[in-house]
Amino acid sequence: MGNSLKIEGLSRNFGSVIALDDFSLTIKKGELVSLLGPSGCGKTTALRIVAGLERASSGEITLNDKKITDVPAHKRNMGMVFQSYSLFPHLTIEENVAFGLQMRREPKEKRIGKAGELLELVGLTTQHKRFPHQLSGGQQQRVALARALAIQPEVLLLDEPLSALDAQVRQNLREEIRRLQVELNTTTLFVTHDQEEAMAISDRVGVMSHGKLEQIDTPDELYNRPATLFVASFIGAMNRIPTQLKDGEVEVLGEKHSVKNHNEKDGNVTALIRPESIELLHDSTYHNAVVVTRSFLGASSRITVRIGDGSILQSLMPSSDSMELHPGDLVQAVITDKKVLITNA
Amino acid sequence: MTTTTVLQDVAKVGSPRKRGANLWSTFPWPLLPFFLFLALFFFLPIGAVFINSFKNNDGAFTFENIQALFHDPYRMAFLNSIKLGFYSALTASIPGVLLALAIEKKGGKNLKKFIASVSGVLANTGGVPLAFMFLAAFGPSGLATNLFKSLGLDLYSLGFTLFSFNGLLIVYSYFQIPIMIIVFTPALTALRREWRDASSNLGSTPLGYWRHVGLPILAPSFIASFLLLFASAFSAFGTARAMTVGNIALVPLQIGSLLDGNVTIDKANLGYSLALGMIVISLLAMIPYILLQKRASRWQVR
Amino acid sequence: MMNFRKNLDANIALAIAAIFLFLPLIAATEFSLRDGGTEKHSLISYRWILDQSGFSENLGITMRVMALAVILTLVLMVPTVTWLHLGGEKYKRLIDVLTMLPLIIPVVALATGAQLALPGFVHGTVYELSFLYVVVSMPYTYRALDIGMSARPLATLVAAARNLGASWINVMLRVIVPSILPSIFAALFMTITLSLGEFTLAQLLHWNTFPTWITNISQQNILGATALAVGSLFFAWVLLYIFTFLDRQPTQSAVNEE
Repeated sequence: MGNSLKIEGLSRNFGSVIALDDFSLTIKKGELVSLLGPSGCGKTTALRIVAGLERASSGEITLNDKKITDVPAHKRNMGMVFQSYSLFPHLTIEENVAFGLQMRREPKEKRIGKAGELLELVGLTTQHKRFPHQLSGGQQQRVALARALAIQPEVLLLDEPLSALDAQVRQNLREEIRRLQVELNTTTLFVTHDQEEAMAISDRVGVMSHGKLEQIDTPDELYNRPATLFVASFIGAMNRIPTQLKDGEVEVLGEKHSVKNHNEKDGNVTALIRPESIELLHDSTYHNAVVVTRSFLGASSRITVRIGDGSILQSLMPSSDSMELHPGDLVQAVITDKKVLITNA
Repeated sequence: MTTTTVLQDVAKVGSPRKRGANLWSTFPWPLLPFFLFLALFFFLPIGAVFINSFKNNDGAFTFENIQALFHDPYRMAFLNSIKLGFYSALTASIPGVLLALAIEKKGGKNLKKFIASVSGVLANTGGVPLAFMFLAAFGPSGLATNLFKSLGLDLYSLGFTLFSFNGLLIVYSYFQIPIMIIVFTPALTALRREWRDASSNLGSTPLGYWRHVGLPILAPSFIASFLLLFASAFSAFGTARAMTVGNIALVPLQIGSLLDGNVTIDKANLGYSLALGMIVISLLAMIPYILLQKRASRWQVR
Repeated sequence: MMNFRKNLDANIALAIAAIFLFLPLIAATEFSLRDGGTEKHSLISYRWILDQSGFSENLGITMRVMALAVILTLVLMVPTVTWLHLGGEKYKRLIDVLTMLPLIIPVVALATGAQLALPGFVHGTVYELSFLYVVVSMPYTYRALDIGMSARPLATLVAAARNLGASWINVMLRVIVPSILPSIFAALFMTITLSLGEFTLAQLLHWNTFPTWITNISQQNILGATALAVGSLFFAWVLLYIFTFLDRQPTQSAVNEE
């Protein structure tokens, strides 16, 4: 399996605003890569440049070893799903799905056959004679997905396709996107601001900030080994505890811990601790924290505590282990990780 | 102003709704003043036109007034007025659409505000003031005429004159194009960028986008706007009166002179049948629009 | 520069439109400033306007007709449209269509009928024009109010006010009117521009108003008539500018952005 899409040194500025700064990314055939970041981080700009809907100030895009930087959008053969309202309102569902084939001058029977096939894939066979406004938001996005896949695209581009939907529909549809993508082995670039969404369905996730790619890695690696402070705090919740680094060790909550990343200099650093790595011991005789709140989340509960310097920490514990914790209780907060992540920022 | 969307409603009103047994309790009383006002100041006069069209001078029933419409000079006047309405709509709607597109493309909020206010004023110009402005520019010794002459182009020796059918079209476009911009811009604004993006993404050229997506979606609004322009030129009175010197027979002018009593008394009720003829043609002009709208209403979100 | 080239077609279209727009305007302005048949320029034609005995008289008539049309529009249209948004929704489509008719039926035909039959209490007075102007401007005034009210959560505002103990009069004057003030201005502006420039109805019903007066005196003095034409156009512009300014203040900024 070779490289499908290769993006090299892409930059784009609008006036003096830099939307995209030396952005490079390679996607393998059949891989689903997400671009994740806050709004304005350049992820949508990157996607639109790949689609050919916007031009890069500099940089190059290669698809299957062919340079496509200057190929106009309508000749790139990339299917794209937009945030919402992208279905043509005056065409039926079937005609929408067949639109790309019509543009490719396929005969009518073939268009209808293919459209029917795809509508079956997304489970909307009975709706094919309806118009977009008669469908729910989730159904419309399914149609948009079918329409994008109908042209058998080299690359599938998803521009926040779930962000306008309800939570339940969103979760179902994202699983479905993943299922179809794997089934059809379609190389996919997925843009989202929702980290849960990105982590759930991607092979790799690229975290972006201020037009730059901060880190690109598998969801597990991103979560466990964030390369920058931005990634660490953007992916999942993270407690930040100021401390000092000395001889490869930091003291956090009264105990010494060795650090995961040794490349930091001695001096003031911040220790980054995941909530699930903080355990609260109720019956300990040593107390270093007081319980502020406890929220029941189901299998686990989130407990906030105040520590000696007045700052608040979050802990995530199995609900069964934290049933006895009540606001005002004195507890001992313990870090369960052997090694901790630090940053000198 | 989304006049076109209202026209879309005109097309959609279907069978009268079923009324409950008790009219008294179901009547929308808060609307009574509105209904009364419209009845007294709109339907009453229009109804009077209708009834008097079928009366002779003694008040007896007759078809004479109606029959007269099918003979010259009135037949000619109707043909001229319809032609004027149609060509004026044509010559104003196309530049109007192009300008609306240009404004939309340039984008700027301030430009749009400026154009909206300029259009608002120009759409309401007409009559003698407008005629004099054009005389000052394109009259035989007008500023523009002299300017062209100094460039070696003598418009009037080429047969151009403001006081002609074509001259009328040019003068009308001064208020017709702004009307087009006002009524058509909302439709253009409603075209979503996603549709253009999706279409080019699916392999359509810019031309293909307009053919398969842009034009079909805009068609109902375009026809509605076109119809408005037709109605506006068809029934324009002040400007026509100021620009013509009896050389072009137009229905509104004939009605005007009949109402002024400039005609022999035996034709007194002819003015009413002419007015009725105008009403009928205006309503007939709605038909192509209603047909198109019927189709479009399947996909329009309202 | 790059931007200019990118929008080259749009810029050319707008430039041509601007020439077509300004040529008659400039020509008329220059013409109206001519001093008789000479090459010199002066304000003589504008002074001539003010010397005409009919000027203030006819302007006065038009202003009074306009004032009544504005009041009628306010009293008739604002409550009607408000009710359509607060309980009368099922009649909205009907009213949408009815208010559109005056745009489809030619004004000349309406004038013909108005000569024949109008309610006795105004028929034969110049104020019959006010009532007809309300009808003719209705397609625009109704739309302006309707758009303004659709953009506001009127039902919620009214429920909140009623809940706090406001009477219906108070609700109307202190809640509804202020929250849709810009669209009321827009609606009134339609009535005002129509009343100031309307010629067909006034002429065919044989009333002297400012527009018919301009038409009549234009036969005496071409330069003066051109001056009047230019003057009234700039007057309309100033008026419109004032109105867009009023329109901008209360809402357009923060509330609309949500």
